[in-house]
Amino acid sequence: MTRFIIIRILQAFVALIGITIIVFFLVRASGDPMQLLANPNMTEEQYNAIKTRLGLDKSWGEQLLIYFNDVLHGDLGESLVRQKPITTMIKESLPNTLKLTVPSFIISMLIAFFLGITAATYRDTFWDQGVKFLAVLGQALPGFWVAIMAVLIFSVNLGWLPVAGMATPAHYILPVATMVFFMLPGMMRLVRSSMLDVLDTEYIKLARIKGLPERIVIWKHALRNAMITPLTTIGMLIPGLVLGAVITETIFNWPGMGVMIVQGTFQRDFPLVQAITMLTAVLVLSINILVDIAYAWVDPSIRYQRS
Amino acid sequence: MVSIIPNVKEKTRKQYTGVSRGTRIMKNLTLILPVMVLTLMVICAIFANLSWLGLPQYGLAPHDPNKTAPRDKFLPPAFIEGGKSDYLLGTDKLGRDILSRVIHGARVSLSVSLLAIFITAGVGTMLGIFSGYVGGRVDGFLMRIVDVALSFPGLLLAMLLAVAVGPGFWTVVFALSVLGWAFYARLVRGESLRIRQSDFVAQARVNGASPFRIMLRHIFPNVVNSLIVLMTLQVGMMILSEAALSYIGIGITAPQASWGSMVSDGRAELDRAWWISTFPGVAIGLVVMSGNFLGDWIRDKLDPRLRQV
Repeated sequence: MTRFIIIRILQAFVALIGITIIVFFLVRASGDPMQLLANPNMTEEQYNAIKTRLGLDKSWGEQLLIYFNDVLHGDLGESLVRQKPITTMIKESLPNTLKLTVPSFIISMLIAFFLGITAATYRDTFWDQGVKFLAVLGQALPGFWVAIMAVLIFSVNLGWLPVAGMATPAHYILPVATMVFFMLPGMMRLVRSSMLDVLDTEYIKLARIKGLPERIVIWKHALRNAMITPLTTIGMLIPGLVLGAVITETIFNWPGMGVMIVQGTFQRDFPLVQAITMLTAVLVLSINILVDIAYAWVDPSIRYQRS
Repeated sequence: MVSIIPNVKEKTRKQYTGVSRGTRIMKNLTLILPVMVLTLMVICAIFANLSWLGLPQYGLAPHDPNKTAPRDKFLPPAFIEGGKSDYLLGTDKLGRDILSRVIHGARVSLSVSLLAIFITAGVGTMLGIFSGYVGGRVDGFLMRIVDVALSFPGLLLAMLLAVAVGPGFWTVVFALSVLGWAFYARLVRGESLRIRQSDFVAQARVNGASPFRIMLRHIFPNVVNSLIVLMTLQVGMMILSEAALSYIGIGITAPQASWGSMVSDGRAELDRAWWISTFPGVAIGLVVMSGNFLGDWIRDKLDPRLRQV
């Protein structure tokens, strides 16, 4: 098991270096970042001073090495536009993003498990059809549009909820609901299909034959096993989570990482976009490792086969 | 003499197929409606105007989608008081016709998603067949890349590209393709792994077929069904992704009409012109839902094993 974990971590580290190199050259592919910063009124000296300060006067190879060194020391560089260290900017905006994503994630998980299991248990009934209908809608309607329609109905027409910002608890309702809309359908489908598989197994039939109450069969015996498949695919939820957070923050003017990176993109603030992409890569790789370890822990055959 | 053969006529269709009439009608509707919606979209995309014949003034769109009319701005849809019959779905803040822009938006959505689907399917299929056929370390390595690609947010790559080369049509196509191949690679690799074991592959090998020939002539034809199913199911996802990128402003940019950017344009005008955001969103929803239903139907016909995809 230790060997398995070490191999996984080493692999992830190699992948991270690969991603860093790709990202580094991709950002510079369009040409000299100085073209974005220079303005016609600059003197030659000012131009060169900025170039030296940002390290752009060195060769690409040197820049890459310096970048690696800085990242290893926890320095993600400085924003071109706001002239602030990126780590400071992240410290300011990350808590806001977490305030939005964590409750939404928990709420979606709870609803997904409840509805997914109910749908699987009462297969082909009214409940199941309802859940399927929700999933079809959720996977077809664009989240940003649903959020805007919600603003139109609840904020503009009815005046019940605030349009944007994050001052009071009421400000959380629409953004959290939007995030839930982004995450729920996929999760719900997964739980339902995984639960259907489990309900079809011999040990569930045995539990029923033993005369256990249906409540215990479903929520104890079946649920535990039905949770494995959704947990292993949790990595695939990350893209939706990031997209949901960026769009929700943009719509509701929520001062988090999403708004920060969108602004960074428009202002062509390449160190900022690069730093956030790298951080996300670390997050993605760590979650993949954790999932692998959890899976290997649950299912010993994986451990031997893969290492 | 009493017949021991049961009276076949009296058995209803339900007893044979286990499907009631209502369910059958629903099944047909979930095929006919999506096909109609998608056909309409293709027609809109092709005939929005005839610029490809050098006749941009003729076409389905009643107006030039980018023509501004300052006197006609913020006109409500024709079926609401104050609307003009000339502008069926109303106008935006520059007086551009919403209906014409929605029709032209079909062109953008369709071309972006079709291009991205063909690129991702091509790359993913080649890598998948190769990975499954070769197996071993190469396979393990490729599948780790697939794992990362499937859990990496494409949005961030799109932003990175937008920073590097600027937003636009090809940026969107590239951003959607750069990770999308992984879905195909994983699916096809599984199939390839299974087919590799079959007798006809062994026989081909005995006959002296090269690995390339085996992959192309023996494995590929057997993954085509799964491939078509996944490609159809991906139409909706690609259209949604393009819309999301354009909504954020890093996809198709002004003045070109795209459903996503139209919804975004209407965000600031919600309190006085709800129709700007509403109609393009309805178009996205209808098309994506149709794509998903059609994909489900094709899957049930060609390859029901793929229910989980």
